[in-house]
Amino acid sequence: MELTLSALLHMLLFPGGVFALGAGLLLKGVDRRVQARLQRRVGPPLLQPFLDLAKLAAKETLVPETANRTAFLAAPLIGLTGMAVAAALIPVPGAYSGMPEMGDMLVLFYLLPLPAIALMVGGSASSSPFGALGFSREMGLMLAYEIPLLAVLLAVAMKAGAAVGAGPALSLTVVVGHQMAAGQFGFSPAMLPALAAYLLFLPGTLGVPPFDVPEAESEIVEGPLLEYSGPALGFFHLASALKTMVVLGLGVDMFFPTPLPGGALVNVCWFLAKCLALMLVSLTVARAATGRFRPDQAFTFFLKYPAPLALASLALAWMGF
Amino acid sequence: MHPMNAFKKLAVRSPWLFRINAGSCNGCDVELVATACIPRFDVERLGCRYCGSPRHADIVLITGPLNLRIRDKVLRVWDEVPEPKVAVAVGICPISGGVFRGGYTIDGPMDRYLPIDVNVPGCPPRPQAILEGVLKAREVWLSRMGA
Amino acid sequence: MIVFGFLKVLLGNVAKGPATEPFPLGPATTPARFRGKVHMDPALCVGCAICRHVCVGNAIHISERADGSGYDWVLWHNTCALCGLCQHYCPTGAISMSNDWHNAHLQAEKDEWCESRFVPYLVCERCGAHIRPLPTSVAGRLYADNHVDVARILRLCPQCRQIETALHEGVRHDDQRVA
Repeated sequence: MELTLSALLHMLLFPGGVFALGAGLLLKGVDRRVQARLQRRVGPPLLQPFLDLAKLAAKETLVPETANRTAFLAAPLIGLTGMAVAAALIPVPGAYSGMPEMGDMLVLFYLLPLPAIALMVGGSASSSPFGALGFSREMGLMLAYEIPLLAVLLAVAMKAGAAVGAGPALSLTVVVGHQMAAGQFGFSPAMLPALAAYLLFLPGTLGVPPFDVPEAESEIVEGPLLEYSGPALGFFHLASALKTMVVLGLGVDMFFPTPLPGGALVNVCWFLAKCLALMLVSLTVARAATGRFRPDQAFTFFLKYPAPLALASLALAWMGF
Repeated sequence: MHPMNAFKKLAVRSPWLFRINAGSCNGCDVELVATACIPRFDVERLGCRYCGSPRHADIVLITGPLNLRIRDKVLRVWDEVPEPKVAVAVGICPISGGVFRGGYTIDGPMDRYLPIDVNVPGCPPRPQAILEGVLKAREVWLSRMGA
Repeated sequence: MIVFGFLKVLLGNVAKGPATEPFPLGPATTPARFRGKVHMDPALCVGCAICRHVCVGNAIHISERADGSGYDWVLWHNTCALCGLCQHYCPTGAISMSNDWHNAHLQAEKDEWCESRFVPYLVCERCGAHIRPLPTSVAGRLYADNHVDVARILRLCPQCRQIETALHEGVRHDDQRVA
């Protein structure tokens, strides 16, 4: 009972729920502003994602006549709850050590595609042909980017487990603890390919250019999101903000988890700063500088570059480097 | 200030724009793209974003004189936009028919069919004028929400 | 490598800073010769209606008032394509294009969104007929070679003007014959 209560609190307040939402939206605001600077623009106010949500809350939600109403309206909630749970599994080194009894990296691996699946469910429930097109594109892209993600997770688990002398250590708490004792993976030569693969995986999973293939607004008019409006669309934005926080936090935990000597508050800020740095390197630059891949280019890209990189790290970790 | 009004004032700071081309010569559309994509004008400063779907739109920018062929499609897309919404006629064509007025394919002006709120005349209007129109549309939107 | 090429551009962009104009949060820059709203100076209008003839969008309407007191010259900004033909063809320079582009207006203002000018007719000093006014600058050009009292000529209707000129010229020729 007590465990359930604390798990709920972790999902709703910190580090999931409110905290991750606020941080994720703020990160998105910084992202948009930095992107504007990279393109010689001024950019929107820092709190623009919050304003967007306020606006969406004030709009009406339209449901297409031919849509499956239940699935259409439930889809955004699936993504949102999935990500709120996932956010509770991400340790914040120095402030929160994760919930190993609730789930490990494998659970995360299953939770991470939930927003994408929610998008697919919503898209196909909307009965729009563009939704169906977006569905197939999202599906293809997901199959491609899950391979490097799995390889990266396994490589990290293998490396952390090898030191303990056991099999792969799938618990993020153990992974973080090991790195705090034995050095961060981000600075270990054997894990550099995995880090690179993860940085390439980030824009793919978050649907950031050049991988915004499923939501291409100029080709398939935002695909699965086409029929969503008002608060329902807002829930997708919330889920996306949470997912940004989750994948960035996962990256920090896997490669640069070492906390600062200091209190929990200092370390939360330190964690957010590292998430921000990761976002600027992998998402903002890609978003500011690239156009959009064709669906087949995006698909082959993940199999060509991140997958071999991650597998190389996995092999190195396997051999004990 | 009433908290609800403060909330509405925040909400209108995120106007998402949607373009409807009702038979335009593309001049105004190019100008809209310039407004959006050229760093010199940067509509994103106002929180604006061009969206691909009419369902996401708050401010609808309409160009073109409303041809007979496209009339019903324009009206249908307009109906897809969730309330509260604001319509801005960009260029002289939607406002009066412009140089096409009186043509046998022209069913305009636009306000015969759509409740236009703001007019931005010009052939085409310059980006700053479009920005000004968007700002005016924001005021209309705020008053429509009852703040 | 291509990768470093675009990074260089991005870093350069950050270093150079935003290229965004302050408008709408600050003043806007407008080129001096920007073709904005059309203005008409009724003091210079001769009512030749060439502007109405060349207007591509039929934005200019000229209508005589029923009481014969003058005519209304109306240009609808909502139909004006800003092509500048009226300004180009206006023989007296009454039409000018300002660089004022503040043209966005609410739907309620649509019916008043025009350049509306009233050009009053003059009353002929001799016969009392209503005549279209002739601006001094044009008259000066027209009567440059004639030794007439331009200011008086302007207050006469064309017919009386002919008579006046004929009388005047006759007197002058008589003078020459005497000399």
